[in-house]
Amino acid sequence: MKEIVIDISDDGEVRIETKGFKGKACLEESQFLKNLLGKETYKQLTPAYYNTNKKKVKKYLQLCG
Amino acid sequence: MSHISKIELVIHSLEDLKEACRQLGFEFIENQKTYKWYGRWVGDTALPEGVKIEDIGKCDHAIRVSGCAYEVGVIKRGEHYILLWDYFSAGGLVQKIGPNAGILKQAYTVARVRKEARQKGYRIRVKKMDQGVRLVLTV
Repeated sequence: MKEIVIDISDDGEVRIETKGFKGKACLEESQFLKNLLGKETYKQLTPAYYNTNKKKVKKYLQLCG
Repeated sequence: MSHISKIELVIHSLEDLKEACRQLGFEFIENQKTYKWYGRWVGDTALPEGVKIEDIGKCDHAIRVSGCAYEVGVIKRGEHYILLWDYFSAGGLVQKIGPNAGILKQAYTVARVRKEARQKGYRIRVKKMDQGVRLVLTV
């Protein structure tokens, strides 16, 4: 399931986490929240970001034959 | 998971700030040009960016919090708003609005996201967490 989780701490810190998206879709989907709330001060891409439907990620290197 | 971001909150919407005040039981006083504070700058902390000593106590709108002697000033800065308040304990504000006005900012964020996310067709769940609030938007 695709979700955007927004945590707002009692001291006002806002953290956005996207889940279940592949590739750049997470950035596009959550951009409206960043525009809405203020300035992005930190961004960490997770492995799923680099995984798209078009491109398979090889887990092992083919060493011979 | 695909990415994690941290956002420095900027208050753009006066309507959502008013809604946050309603939710918290605070009174938003439109066009009140001064807010109550200690009344004399004692220099015990750094001033917020762009704020001069002579600006303290002046505002465009104010927020009155029941049971507090002091008020929160809402100051327009170009396209956004900043909040100024005196956190001296005699004013009673920190207990009600949180350190760094976090409780007020939290309510503002919830109001802001709820309205816009609903318009975009997201399903929204709000959960109270140990040290904050979690909004879950489902695409």
